[in-house]
Amino acid sequence: MRTTRRKNNLLAKIWHHPQGQVGLILAGLLVFAAVAAPWITPFDPYDVTQRAEKGLAPGWPHLLGTSISTGQDIFSMLIYGARVSLLVGIVTGLAIAFLGAFMGILAGYGGRFWDTLIMRLVDVMLVIPTLPLTIVLTNLFGKSYGMIIFIFTIFGWVGLARVIRSQVLVLKSSNYIKAAQLAGASRRYIMFRHILPGVSNLLIMSTALTSAGIMVAEAGLSFLGLGDPTAISWGKMLAEAQSGGALLFGHWWWIIAPGIGIFLSVFAFMRIGLALEEVFNPRMKRSGMLLRLFKSINGSYIQEVFDAMDDRPETDEAGKEAAP
Amino acid sequence: MRKGYVLERILYTVFIFFIVITLNFFIPRIGVEDPAERYYPPQGNLTDTEYSIIKQLTRKQYGFDVSGWQQYLRYLSQLSRGDLGTSLQAGSPKVSTLIAQRLPWTLVLSLSNMLISVTLGLLLGTSAAWNRGKFADRALMNASTVMTALPAFFLALVFSLYMGFEWGWFPAYTEPDMVASFDWSWRAIAQVARNAALPVISMSIGGVISYAQGTRNSVIAVSQEDFITTARAKGMSTRTVKYRHVLRNAMLPIVTSLGMSVSGLIGGSVVIEQIFNWNGMGTLFLTANNTNDYPLMMGIMLFLSSFALLANLMTDLLYSLLDPRVSAGGGRR
Repeated sequence: MRTTRRKNNLLAKIWHHPQGQVGLILAGLLVFAAVAAPWITPFDPYDVTQRAEKGLAPGWPHLLGTSISTGQDIFSMLIYGARVSLLVGIVTGLAIAFLGAFMGILAGYGGRFWDTLIMRLVDVMLVIPTLPLTIVLTNLFGKSYGMIIFIFTIFGWVGLARVIRSQVLVLKSSNYIKAAQLAGASRRYIMFRHILPGVSNLLIMSTALTSAGIMVAEAGLSFLGLGDPTAISWGKMLAEAQSGGALLFGHWWWIIAPGIGIFLSVFAFMRIGLALEEVFNPRMKRSGMLLRLFKSINGSYIQEVFDAMDDRPETDEAGKEAAP
Repeated sequence: MRKGYVLERILYTVFIFFIVITLNFFIPRIGVEDPAERYYPPQGNLTDTEYSIIKQLTRKQYGFDVSGWQQYLRYLSQLSRGDLGTSLQAGSPKVSTLIAQRLPWTLVLSLSNMLISVTLGLLLGTSAAWNRGKFADRALMNASTVMTALPAFFLALVFSLYMGFEWGWFPAYTEPDMVASFDWSWRAIAQVARNAALPVISMSIGGVISYAQGTRNSVIAVSQEDFITTARAKGMSTRTVKYRHVLRNAMLPIVTSLGMSVSGLIGGSVVIEQIFNWNGMGTLFLTANNTNDYPLMMGIMLFLSSFALLANLMTDLLYSLLDPRVSAGGGRR
């Protein structure tokens, strides 16, 4: 009961945030497009019999023309592409939040042994060349979206776990946790009752932003031909456009359409993430979260360092909120 | 800088390096098939004895005649001699030769990208921070929210479509004779610049924005610190405070992030290289992956991760030089 009310409040808060509203509307439209794809698309791009003349320009009934290579309706492919992007993005975002929270809390509150082990693992993960290894692994273990989600999760938790750990370390030294320990609360009780709520804001925020980052990464991987070869995704549409000669023949709509799909989905989730950041942390207007997003996209941690300065007020806030 | 700190960082780097070598040996091997089966599938025109002799010889040639652990030890001793192995490509070229051929071409892209990103990013970021809330600042922030959502490879395709094919400003595909006929003449250098234009532009847009935003936040954060107020209160000129106190301290995180991005110099442009058919490490890796050339894959990955490790070590040491508190307090973390 209490949790649902809190969630409603959160949604309402994002809605009343001007940027969050944009994000929520866009995300809502995309989810609608993904769920209702079979009913709102004029043609079924998976159906071989519904292919038209190849390489048509935008017009009626093919709003965005047809592809040069197969004669599929580009508008319908654009709508269907939302399914892959949202599915991979959101599921991976959630999985990374779980794994990152688990590893971060374990490192921060599980004792010296776990802390050392996990932080060594983090250091190894940070030097491993992520993109090449992702390419190798998807190639080895099959090109399915389940596998891609798994691989993204394996590589994606590192940054989040570091942030969570540093927050846990701050929480650990706060008075109310010490009071709980003195009152005889068990480690597990403190972890779930005090530490987890203390980092939950960070988790919710990062899920929105990680999802956005993963959507870009998925598009890149599909573009390289490492996605599910049977599914329609925006990255694969771009790859087909390139190999099908869209650049050569100047079929700009074939390039722009999937690009707009990628842009809208990433933009929507970024807006939501930024709105969440300001809702949770009203004192900080527009801090370095955008840069943190870059990290999840390209594996370099440019902004982690910038964030180090933003961390202090953020953790103060979390401590205060969780204290009563 | 404390000597103990330097030694500790170096030892730690060596330790991580060992783990990386081990992972690097075992992961690409998961998908490796027996080379004997790969090159000599049963064809029927040989007797069983002949066939098994050929297989034995092939296994021996590719080092598959011993168990996995012995192969691992062999790999370690081979690495200790500085040998990255032999590619399975036709002509059996050395992995190190292949990397040496491709590396300069990737560096052309990534170094120009880094140079453009850092200079433009610093300029834009500081001017935005000093005009906080004014038009330039808001324009930068709005541009960054839009550009962050556009992946570089999409920009690359759009640029290739318009500036490459439609308007013919720059080559949309790397000209095939660029690598072969490169001879350090002005003509060749101009050709490289012409071919690198589109990849570099599409890569650096995101970099400029991210450095600009990082610089802006860093400058704003530093200018709110107490010591800046003190400097102002002492009656120092705005100019001195801006350049001596704010900028100098705001540079610290930027130096670190620069070090971090050094590790991405070599591996960061796989997709862009593929789009423009650029003759670099990215396309080399994709070829190795598509042909299951595991010694080449292992070699490239090891090269990339050792480069990243070295860059991280350098950053740590440089950072502790700039900010002595770091080495006194046990590292960046």
